[in-house]
Amino acid sequence: MKKVLTTCPYCGTGCCFYLVVGDDGRLVGVEPSHEHPVAKGRMCVKGWNAFHFVNHPDRLTEPWIRKNGKLQPASWDEALDVVATRLAEIQAKHGNDAAAFFSSAKMTNEENYVMMKLARAVFKTNNVDHCARLCHSSTVVGLAGAFGSGAMTNSISCVEEADCILVTGSNTTEQHPLIGTRIIRNVKDRGAKLIVADNRKIRLARFADLHIRWKNGTDVAFLNGIMNVIISEGLEDKEFVATRTENFEGLKKTVAEYTPEKAASICGITPQEIIDVARMFAKAKKAMIIYSMGITQHTHGVENVRSCANLVLLTGNLGRPGTGVNPLRGQNNVQGACDMGALANVFTGYQSVTDAAAREKFEKAWGVENLPGNVGLTITTAINAAADGELKALYVAGENPMMSDPDQNHVRKALENLEFLVVQDIFPTPTSEFADVVLPAASYAEKDGTFTSTERRVQRVRKAIEPVGQSRGDWEIFCEVAKRAGYSGMSYSNASEIMDEIASVTPIYGGISFDRIDKVGLQWPCPAKDHPGTPVLHVGKFTRGLGLFSPAEYKPSVELPDEEYPFVLSTGRCYFHFHTGTMTRRSRTLSREERFPYIEISPADAKALGIRDRQQVSVATRRGELECMARVTDVAMDGVLFMPFHFEEAPANLLTINALDPVAKIPEYKVCAARIRRSL
Amino acid sequence: MKAYSVQEVDAFLRSLQSDYDVRVPVIRLDGTRNLGAPDDGPLALAGGVILNKVTSVFFPHIEVVLTQNGRQFTEAPPPPKPLLVVGLTAQDADCLEFIDKFFASDYPDSVYLRRRASSVAVCVSGRCGADGAFLPIAGGKCDLELICDGESYLLAAYSDAGKALLNKAEGGKDVPDACIAELQMESDALPTDELEMIQEASELLQQDKVPDEFWQSVSDRCIACTSCNLTCPSCTCFDMFDRQAADGEFERWRLWDSCQLDGFMREASGHNPMGHEKIRTRRRIHHRLAADVLKWGHITCYLCGRCDEVCPAGIGMKAVCREMVEQYGSK
Repeated sequence: MKKVLTTCPYCGTGCCFYLVVGDDGRLVGVEPSHEHPVAKGRMCVKGWNAFHFVNHPDRLTEPWIRKNGKLQPASWDEALDVVATRLAEIQAKHGNDAAAFFSSAKMTNEENYVMMKLARAVFKTNNVDHCARLCHSSTVVGLAGAFGSGAMTNSISCVEEADCILVTGSNTTEQHPLIGTRIIRNVKDRGAKLIVADNRKIRLARFADLHIRWKNGTDVAFLNGIMNVIISEGLEDKEFVATRTENFEGLKKTVAEYTPEKAASICGITPQEIIDVARMFAKAKKAMIIYSMGITQHTHGVENVRSCANLVLLTGNLGRPGTGVNPLRGQNNVQGACDMGALANVFTGYQSVTDAAAREKFEKAWGVENLPGNVGLTITTAINAAADGELKALYVAGENPMMSDPDQNHVRKALENLEFLVVQDIFPTPTSEFADVVLPAASYAEKDGTFTSTERRVQRVRKAIEPVGQSRGDWEIFCEVAKRAGYSGMSYSNASEIMDEIASVTPIYGGISFDRIDKVGLQWPCPAKDHPGTPVLHVGKFTRGLGLFSPAEYKPSVELPDEEYPFVLSTGRCYFHFHTGTMTRRSRTLSREERFPYIEISPADAKALGIRDRQQVSVATRRGELECMARVTDVAMDGVLFMPFHFEEAPANLLTINALDPVAKIPEYKVCAARIRRSL
Repeated sequence: MKAYSVQEVDAFLRSLQSDYDVRVPVIRLDGTRNLGAPDDGPLALAGGVILNKVTSVFFPHIEVVLTQNGRQFTEAPPPPKPLLVVGLTAQDADCLEFIDKFFASDYPDSVYLRRRASSVAVCVSGRCGADGAFLPIAGGKCDLELICDGESYLLAAYSDAGKALLNKAEGGKDVPDACIAELQMESDALPTDELEMIQEASELLQQDKVPDEFWQSVSDRCIACTSCNLTCPSCTCFDMFDRQAADGEFERWRLWDSCQLDGFMREASGHNPMGHEKIRTRRRIHHRLAADVLKWGHITCYLCGRCDEVCPAGIGMKAVCREMVEQYGSK
């Protein structure tokens, strides 16, 4: 029996623990790390069960190639040859941008870097993206514009120091449990004020001084209303605004229109609630915003994020412990995948592909010429392009767009339209059913590398067991494809070498290497080998110089309830499952805990429709219809339904709308119009 | 009586590896102290309670209990060597004694009992607790005990197995028998306020003096992480499931379960008599402090403090009992 220190593969909190390996080479448990600065010996239920899917009999253990319409076992050589050859053929015929690459927030930094390099240096396209597009692309755009850096401004430990916490669009105790409990303990032990702005009655609402149950999608009006009160009552941090920000007049002008009465009428709340929130937040010495998908997954996601940034700028809550705008990243390495440039517009460390100097730097580092300078397709626009017949080939690693992307019928059409689809994963998925080649990847427990947590902490992932079956580490597979495509610049003997290369081309990771993060991870920016890392961003000066107020106007969501579809449908995750369910539904305890797809409905709505708890219901939107179980609960607000998207047998994304934020291209998962009735 | 340096104890324990699967407290890569083989890290006898479920050595997180191949069923083989576990506290020894009794009663658990049968439990006590605290002396509750006098360890054997092992210890220096008497006095003088507190909590529960709203306030804070159960050395609940293994075999596994989960007592219909978190939270405490008193004649929480250390919400056994006594107790 051995115990191997590694980082949890679920949410972005970044807890480290020990995987316990049995004498037969299988994982037989998890033990907490008592010294880890975030975990401190604690774990959530997913962490305790993070070993159990790894040795599941469903694991992909050999490559498959589609022959005569069926996926059939093949050798690695044959499969890799097909991948390299077909991608090259399609590009030769239709142009380089006829191929796209979906990287993954579940893969390590090193793997995201190598896939990004594969797309750009070898296949010469910027069509590379990953699922941050679906969760926090609006954060990256919104915060980078306001501050110059699109990441969580503070550290998780700052949650324990805040005097007032505004939680909006984050069910923190369920999705980032060890951050959620820090909020509860700060409230109970230190008396911190808690404002929960979320129409679901989440656990944190039980501890809230103010629980604001606004209408989905009215975030900008709400935040503008708060800022209107702060300015009209003179509660802004005048010195901070004067010395560290720009465009205050622009903000003032915009929010002047959003009187508490006007904002309240848009949000479906009372003017007094807006006034109370404004005073509570502005009067705290150290106030912070914690947000997540409830803010970002809208057609106005970027403007929601900008409004959050405006509020903390206005109140001077930046650059100090216990303050900040703190977007909680939902996946183990979604921060890292962004940092690694697995995005359509940037290389590593957010160096723009449209910047000729950046391209020249990477051309020199990679020994290539003519890196493309156009912004590539995102996950969402690539699926649209495939549906339109413009995109011909897609290489999907560790993503499951059939389950995760909006409007499943649209995704199905897109995948069917492709001439060539490669899916690289640890389990078969609804997406791999469409694949021409399926490549078996090693899980997080079978390889070395790093993940970067939501607080920008770069931490080690360690190989605990041998890859299951013939599966291989994702980076090894990418390097083999590159070699077959005729590129010799992707030959590494281990993940540490890749991190050294990342550090050499990425200023914010410049001081990071495996030897420095052996015991405890470092928080970027960490530009030099002797730099201690950066727990709090924007101390004294913003990355962009001055903080920029970016005023936003309220715009309604694209599809609002009407007579035919009278409910708002919102989607998200539940506590016991993770994303498309490939791992948690193969973990005994987690799977047992939530067995069936369900939809939350308020007691009053259920009564009006004659729906009882646990009864089968039919839910429909303009995109499709499905059956699931009703969960009648006062967590749900009247008129609003909530459905998790983990269940293949009732995929919530059959119902969601493919409407995108115009800048970030993030889908509006949080609002569409739906109807519900008892199943016949 | 002889006292041994840490180095001598280390050498002694390593010498036992030819006959035993030896598990000792070690310091891991990031400083975490948990059980491992002597070669897994520096020996860390001092430091107090090992925060993981120390009885997992005998009742692991997950294990195969049965393999099926065609019509043939094979029980999991016994461990190749008997286990020798070092680092239990006196409270851990109490927990072990209780789960021995539990697994042997009603429907004897052959997998547990076989693993436990020839094993050796070694307690660590004396002046080697966390932050210099004195760890109570276990006495005859274990096979062998390492009692720290502040510098070295006195070896005390209680069972035949322990006495046989003690003869193999080399080196050491003679110390007067008064040393152990002095340490025993120090142990006997340890404060009993936590014990009194939990006994008062137990009485409050048995007298039904704790209202529902108390449990609601506790359960509001519970995020069902299950850490309380999964680190508790006297929690014994497990779930069973089957999985296909290689070559068409099926394996029947058991996996630690938690009474804080909905699925723990959910009926096939979906109805759950413990379907509210409030009831589940109450059960976690009530079971140990009231129900077990009726069944076993004593409280089955031994105040090891693990659930209090690992609970992210601050509602471990001691914390909840303290709140309970403060709010509803007589004092």
